[in-house]
Amino acid sequence: MLITGIKSRPVYDRLAPFSDALLHLVVGQGSGGSAMARLLADIPAGAEVEVMYSTESFTGQNHAEGLATASPGHVCRFASNADLEQALQVRLARAFMGTRLYLAGSESFIGLAMKVARQFDLNADEVLREHCGSLVRRVWCVHCDAYNENITQRVFSCAGCGKPLVVRDHYSRLMGAFMGVQGDAEVPGELPDASDLDT
Amino acid sequence: MSTDTAVGLIPVTVTAIDDVTPDIRVLRLSPEDGHYLPGFSGGSHITVGIDLDAETHLRNAYSLMSSPYDTSHYEIAVRRVEGGRGGSRFIHTLRAGDRLGISSPVNLFPIQIHGKLHIFIAGGIGITPLFPQLEELERAGAAFEAHVSCRHPEDAALAHRLAQRFGSNVHVRHTSQSGRQNFGSVLARRPLGSHVYICGPAAMIAEVRATACALGWSGSHVHYEEFVEQKTGKAFDLKLARSGITLRVPAQVSPLEVLEANGIAIPYLCRGGACGQCETRVLQSDSALEHNDVWLSDETKARNSHFMPCISRADGGMLIVDL
Repeated sequence: MLITGIKSRPVYDRLAPFSDALLHLVVGQGSGGSAMARLLADIPAGAEVEVMYSTESFTGQNHAEGLATASPGHVCRFASNADLEQALQVRLARAFMGTRLYLAGSESFIGLAMKVARQFDLNADEVLREHCGSLVRRVWCVHCDAYNENITQRVFSCAGCGKPLVVRDHYSRLMGAFMGVQGDAEVPGELPDASDLDT
Repeated sequence: MSTDTAVGLIPVTVTAIDDVTPDIRVLRLSPEDGHYLPGFSGGSHITVGIDLDAETHLRNAYSLMSSPYDTSHYEIAVRRVEGGRGGSRFIHTLRAGDRLGISSPVNLFPIQIHGKLHIFIAGGIGITPLFPQLEELERAGAAFEAHVSCRHPEDAALAHRLAQRFGSNVHVRHTSQSGRQNFGSVLARRPLGSHVYICGPAAMIAEVRATACALGWSGSHVHYEEFVEQKTGKAFDLKLARSGITLRVPAQVSPLEVLEANGIAIPYLCRGGACGQCETRVLQSDSALEHNDVWLSDETKARNSHFMPCISRADGGMLIVDL
C-alpha cells in the first residue's frame, strides 16, 4: 500500500476472492506474484481460474515457480509487461459477464492493466488491485503522449520527446499514470531541483 | 425551503393525443411560450401535476419517450390504472389544448455509455424510456438489444413502434402466446462489459436481478427503474414546526404533494422512497407512521425519528415535522 498525500493516487486493495465469480482471472507481474499465490490459495477448489504472470520486474522479483505450485491450472508466462498487456486485451475481448479480474504488481503495471480493464467497463465490484514491490512512478508526458516507466526523480528527460519534465503530484486515472509537464517552458534552462520523488 | 407558488412546475399544453391501445395514451406536451423545454437524457422522467379537485393535487412520475434531440416538445405514455388514486384516469380524460404543469426532467436511469453491449428488458408500459435511450445509443454507434414482453398482441402497439424504429435489435414477445421470457438465456454468456437495464413491474425487476446475480453479473452492470404506485391511506394533519403551518393531507395525496401544492419546495428526486432526498425529521406523531420507503433503516423506522414524505404517511391524527 502506498502512503502519500496525493489524493488522486489510487487506493489499492488486498486481493481476496470474489464470491460470485464464474471465472477468476489472476494477473500480475514481478513482486505481485506473492499476492497472486496468496489469493490462489484462498480461491475455493473447483472454481474456474486462469493465471497470467509477467516476469518483468524493476527489483528482480520472480515468483514464477511459486505460482506454478499455487495455481490449480496452467500459468501463462510473459517476458514483458507489454506482452502481458496485449494478451490481457485478447483474453478480456472473449470473456463473458461473470469474469472477475485481480491485478497485482507495481503501480506502473496496475496502471497499464487498468487501461485495458477500463475498455471493458470493469468497475470496483469486478476488479481488485494490490500494489506490491517498488514505489517507482509511471509518468505520462502531456506533450508527446509517451509513458515513462520506473521514474524516481522529480525532474527527468522524457523518453519520448526529450523535454525536461517535472512530475506533478497528480495521478490520472484515465491515463493510468502521473502527469509530466515541461519544467522550463517559461524560462528555458531554469528547472526545479531533481529531488527524489516522495513515493 | 422556498415558498414559490410555482414550485418548479413548467406550464405546458397538450398538443396531441394518441390512444395507441384502449389503455395506453401517448400525450405530446409543448411549452406555452413556443420555445424549448429543458434538455434531458434517455431514461429521464418528469412529474405531471394533476389537480383532481380543490384539495387533491397529485404529482405522478412518467418517463419521457420523445427524442432527447428535440426539446420543442415532450412525449409521455400513460397507462390507465383502475383503482389507485385516479391520476392516470384523469390524464385519460384530457383533450388537445388542455394545460398542465410539469417538473423539469430528472434521470435516475441513465445509459452507461462506456458499456460494450446494452441489453434492455422491459415489460408493459416500462418500455417508454427505451425510445430515447435507444436513440442515444444508435447515435453513439453502440451495440444494443431490447427484449420487450407484452401480454397480448393488442397491448403491443408501443413495442411494435419501438421495433419499427430500431429494427431487428428489438425482440417483442407476446407472453399469452409464447410464454414468459427466459431471462437466463438473455443474460448468460454475454460479452464482458455488458450492461442490463430493467424497466417494468416489480416482480419482473426482482426476477431479472436475481437471474443476473446468479450468472455472475456484478451489481454495477445491472440497472433498473421501478415506479411505485402511491398508496392511499387515512387523511391526517401535517404540522410544520418551524414554519408554524398546519396542512391537511387528504387520503389520496402524499405529504410531499401537499407541501408542493402549498408552495413549499423541499428536495426530492425519485418520489418513490428510494433516493433519500426528501428525508424529514419527525418531532411528534399521535398515530402510527406508515413507512413505505426502502431508504430509511429498520431501526430509524422503528424509532419513527424520520420519514419520507414522498411515499410514507401518518395513519390519521397529527404529525409534527421539522420543516
